[in-house]
Amino acid sequence: MATSDDVIHQPLRLKIMAALSAEKGQPLDFPRLKAITQATDGNLGSHLTTLEKAGYVAIEKDFVGKRPRTQAKLTPEGRKAFRAHVEYLRAVVEAADEEA
Amino acid sequence: MAITRTEAAAALSAIETTQRRGMTLRGYRLGGPILMLWSLIWATGYLTMGLAPPELWLPVWLALDVVGVAGALVLARAGKPAAAGAPPGMTWRLLGGSLSMMVFALSVFWVMKPTDPAAAMAFPGLLIGVIYAVVGFWAAPRYALIGGLMFGLTLVGYFLFQPWLPFWMAAASGALFLSGVWLWRR
Repeated sequence: MATSDDVIHQPLRLKIMAALSAEKGQPLDFPRLKAITQATDGNLGSHLTTLEKAGYVAIEKDFVGKRPRTQAKLTPEGRKAFRAHVEYLRAVVEAADEEA
Repeated sequence: MAITRTEAAAALSAIETTQRRGMTLRGYRLGGPILMLWSLIWATGYLTMGLAPPELWLPVWLALDVVGVAGALVLARAGKPAAAGAPPGMTWRLLGGSLSMMVFALSVFWVMKPTDPAAAMAFPGLLIGVIYAVVGFWAAPRYALIGGLMFGLTLVGYFLFQPWLPFWMAAASGALFLSGVWLWRR
């Protein structure tokens, strides 16, 4: 069985990875990611940084007109890690159900 | 770190909830401009009913419906990034849904033969209101509020402002437009 990914398993980081994974390679801007994960600005920023340092998320900053915009998307490595973590979670549930 | 079954199940559930919320918000973003477009169609249609002779009502509404459905298709395609996972068959769903509603509304008029023009004017508002409400209760809660609003405004217009009903309904389209903005900004 695969092992748990401690970087992803933290609740907010799990939500961030889930939200980005559903975008199928398209970036999500910060306000939408905040709305989907229901996180605060500070929390979201710090956990995005952790995921970026792990190489799971790529952060892009640009300007729309004069307004700064921050977007995040999964890296190929992040996509692979998220998929593996979800498989691990399913395996844990299935193994426990079989034992019971 | 090994995790328990309960933790794993909770994590899977959190993933599902998050992805569903993302899909709902994406749907709002896609649906907002479509609602704004339809509010303009409604305003035009009801103003026609208020200002033009009755023999023009049906052809004008049919033409407006075609414009509305075509516009909705264009907006749905433009607003959906190719890879962003919107449900497949969107074009057919929109076409099928719109056609079903039009056939239903025309059939009701055909069977019930309303003699009161105010009843015929109120019917589309009530129909759209209830459809949005059902969609809202099943999938995207904001549509329930919009449906309730349309339903309520239609009834208020029918019972309190009947002599000016087409103008009331045209003005109520403003509420539909604002609802579209509300959806789109999420």
